[in-house]
Order: sequence, then structure tokens, then C-alpha cells
Amino acid sequence: MILHFIKKGVLKNRLSMLLLCIALLLSTQAIEAVEVIVNANTVGRLKDSNELRAIFSLRTLYWINGERIKVFVLPDNNVVHKAFVKEKLGMFPHQLRRTWDRMTYTGTGQPPVTVGSITEMLDKVQHTNNAIGYIDRRIENESIHYFDVQ
Amino acid sequence: MNRFIILMFSNILCMACLLSFSVCAQESAIASESVIDAPAQEENRLWENLKKTWKDDIQVHGFLSQGLFSSSGNNVYGKSKDSVSAGLTEVGLNISYQALNNLSLAAQGMYRRAGATTGDAGEVTLDFAFFDLNFLKLQKGRIGVRGGRIKNPWGLYNETRDVAFTHSTIFLPLAYFERSRTLFLALDGGQLYADYNTAIGDFSFKFNYGWMDADDKELLGAIINDPTASGRFVSDPGFVTQLRYEILGGEYVFALSYASLDLSYQAMNAGDPYSKMVAHFDSFMISGQYNGEKFSFAGEYNLQWNKFSDIRLGVPDSSPISERWYVEAGYRFLDNFQATLRYDSSVRDKSDRYGRGLEAKTGGLLPAHLMYAQDVVFGLRWDITPSWMVRAEYHRVYGTAAISLQDNPDVSQTTKNWNIYALQVAFRF
Repeated sequence: MILHFIKKGVLKNRLSMLLLCIALLLSTQAIEAVEVIVNANTVGRLKDSNELRAIFSLRTLYWINGERIKVFVLPDNNVVHKAFVKEKLGMFPHQLRRTWDRMTYTGTGQPPVTVGSITEMLDKVQHTNNAIGYIDRRIENESIHYFDVQ
Repeated sequence: MNRFIILMFSNILCMACLLSFSVCAQESAIASESVIDAPAQEENRLWENLKKTWKDDIQVHGFLSQGLFSSSGNNVYGKSKDSVSAGLTEVGLNISYQALNNLSLAAQGMYRRAGATTGDAGEVTLDFAFFDLNFLKLQKGRIGVRGGRIKNPWGLYNETRDVAFTHSTIFLPLAYFERSRTLFLALDGGQLYADYNTAIGDFSFKFNYGWMDADDKELLGAIINDPTASGRFVSDPGFVTQLRYEILGGEYVFALSYASLDLSYQAMNAGDPYSKMVAHFDSFMISGQYNGEKFSFAGEYNLQWNKFSDIRLGVPDSSPISERWYVEAGYRFLDNFQATLRYDSSVRDKSDRYGRGLEAKTGGLLPAHLMYAQDVVFGLRWDITPSWMVRAEYHRVYGTAAISLQDNPDVSQTTKNWNIYALQVAFRF
């Protein structure tokens, strides 16, 4: 009887472990597909991750037509932000934060606008001219463009 | 002044070279770029710009921190010796306005309470306030000027020394001498800046020229060791300049900083014995930093040539060379949890490293350990959220070169071997 219960418990554990693994796999898959997006009116093009890094580090401030770039980001501890910074910029969030803080608290630059969610990010990039941001999957939307950066 | 003119010329020459390179780079870049969404929507854009409210371009940010200190032997930030002091409070609020595509305005107000130096009520100051005109936009960089009150780019931390989040430990390394904080913090004048991004890294250059805030009792006290002096220091025009090189978005940071400052004593009454005193500082700092995913390392080396002339009758002129350096290692156990270990050294006069000269000269009135400090620091930092942070640290200190003379007015009561325990909570937005 006792053995039966133990077995049942083990089985239950295994099942939950399996579910956890699937969930983890799915979530990493979702994060792997971070996509850089820009407002559809944006004029410009990125050649490589160096240029993308320069934009998010606020070293490149203007698109090629001279318009000022509006950068949107998720909070530092957001998983999509962490994945974006690591995969698309080849950096770590604390490096970006150091750069942004130096500009913010010396008045020499405005840091990117932090949005609370992917939905808000999508909304901001869609409705702000010259905006750039990122989302966690590719969706069909006419008011944004994707940047495919190597 | 002569040195300034020479430096200015060489800088202008550098700028000209930079400019010609950049313009070539820009032209070729434009030629190879193809533009997406070419259908010009000039009219639309014009209309959009008109509709856009000015509020989009205004940002407000701030920070706040409170420290708690306990020490043995000497006081830090208030009466911390064998007691607990909550003597360090820093609050800042700033506003920035992107007025035009290439013109912005920014200002920051600060409230600071730092032991006896500011008194219990603390001080409110205008930390910076300037206009920023980016007059040359390049594909790979920019050149511009700032005018007003501007933070001084000196070492890795001086510009943001009062913002707890921006440095790894509660106490800054000894090279960021607390006694000369006011002097180095900012200047009223102008800044020429240039940024240039290359495939092998990003360069930033800043050149500040103007008047420092030299009216600081802590600084005056450290030079003349006489609390009865009634006058104050005023600054003559000086400069602070920095060349910074960052690789991979700041994974590696290298910087060279140089400051040249002139002060003269302004007497308040006719009989003031210090009325002719002048001071000159040339300070050089080399900095290196590595910011990895888990590990981080930093080291800075500072040499400062000090010159004190006509201090008072009977006191000979002196020109000590100060040497300060540290090495620091950090490890991130988690993305938001970090440990830091640092060895820090400060010597006020390289020719009197152990202070024996000072002790002999003053007949034992001033203890030798006022001339040096070595500090081993261990700290832990936890970033609870991106806005809230708490950290704790322990210092094992040998020497008193860095103590505040306002907090420790009786130097005969100071101790060579001592400890500091510190706790800090900080917020930013």
C-alpha cells in the first residue's frame, strides 16, 4: 500500500517534471525568436549588430535621413530584454545600464523609454515615428518592419 | 594658460583629422546604403511633427540613497565611531528636454547630506545645467558643444559619483578623494565633445574648460590644517579632459583623464595670514575596466602634482606628488547579485610615503598616518528590482589620508588601524 503511494508520487513528480521541461523548452523557443522592429515610416537600414549596438548604446542617435531615433526597451530584468541584449547586441544588460546611467545622470543623453510589456512595446513602435524596439515573436503587422540583423 | 593654448591647438588639429575621416566614411556609407520605404512621406512627416506634442521630448529622472555607517577609530559621514550614523543622504532630480533634433537642455538639482561637511541640514546644489548643441552629425559619430554647468569627466566614476547605482561600492575608491569632491565635481564653462564609432571600438573625447567650485572647507582644511582661517578658495579657469575607448559596447573600457586646476585664496579680512596663498593641481588618471557576464575587473592609477605657494609667512612652498591606485574584482552570482573585492591605496606625498616627515616637521602634532591610507574592501550588492538596490560592505583601513577633517576635527584622536561597516539602500527612476 505504502509502495503504491510512493510509486504514485514518483509518477506524479515525473509528469510534472516533464511538463516543466516542455514549458521551459517552449519559453526558450519563444525567447530565441526575439525580433528587432521599427516603425514602418522609418527610413534606414542596419547592416550588422555593431550598428544595432550603437543605436541601443545611444552612440548612433539619428537615422540616415537625419531623423532622431526613438529607442524603446523592456525593463532590465525582463527575460525578453535579456535575450535581446545577449543575442542581438552581443552584450549584457548591466553594460547597457551603465552606459544609459552615465548619460541620464550627467544630462548628456536621454535613455531609451522603458515600456512595461511586449504589447506596449508593439503599440509604441507602431505609433511613434522613427521608433525602434523588439518583440518576442514575428507577427503580421503593416505598421512595423523587421530588421534582420546577422 | 600656455599649456591650455597648446592643448587647445592640438585638440583642434585632432578634430580636423577626425572630421575628414568621418566625412569620407559617411559618403561611402551613404553610397552603399539602400533606403527602405523610399516613398517619401515628406508632407505626412511634416504634419506628424506639427501634431507631436513637446512633451514627448521631455524626460524626468532621479535617484535617492541613504547610507548607514558604523566604524571603529575614526568617524565617517557623521559620528559613526563606536556608534551608528545615518550621515549620507543623496537625492537628485533631473529634467532633460530635446528641444530640436540637435539641441537639448538638461538640469539636475541635488540634495546632499554628508556628515559634518554639509551639516545636519544638508545642502541643496545645482548639479548641472547646460545646453547641448550637436553641431556635426556623422554616420559614425558626432561633435558638439555644451555650455553651462557641466560634470567633469575624470576617471570612471567622477561624473556620476553621487549616484549610488553607478558604482560598485558605497565608498568610492580613494582616488575619488572625498576632500576634493567639490573641486572636481563640475565646472561652469563649456565642453567640447566628440564621439566616433569604429569597427574596433568606440572613442569618446571630452574637454571641459571653466571655473570649478573651490569654496570648500574640507579642501582648505586639508591644505592648511588650520580651522581658524576665515577666507575661502576661488577658482581660476582650468580644464578637465578625457579620452575614452570602449570595446564591444563597454565590455572593455579604457580612459585617460587629465585635469589642470588653479586656485587662489580670497581673504575675508585685512590681517589674514593666508591672503597670498595659491594652489595648483595637475592630475592624471589612467583607467581600465572589464565588464563580463559574471566577472568584472577594474583598476585606476592616479598621479597628482600639487603646488602650494605663499601659504603664509614662515611656511615654505611645497609641491608634493600624490599617488592613488586600486584594483578591484567583482563576481555576479546572479544577474542581480554581485560581490566585490578591492585593494585601494592612497599616498598624499610620494616623497613622504609613511608620513614620518610630517610627524617630525610638526613635532608629533600631526600623526604620520594622515599621509597615507590602504583599504581592503569587501562588498555585496543586491539589485532587488531595476529601481531598488541594497548593498553592504566592510572596510579594513590602515591610515587616515582619506578621512574627513570636519568629521574628525581633533587629529590627535584619530587612529591608524580601523574598520568601517556600511549599509546602503538606493532608488532610481
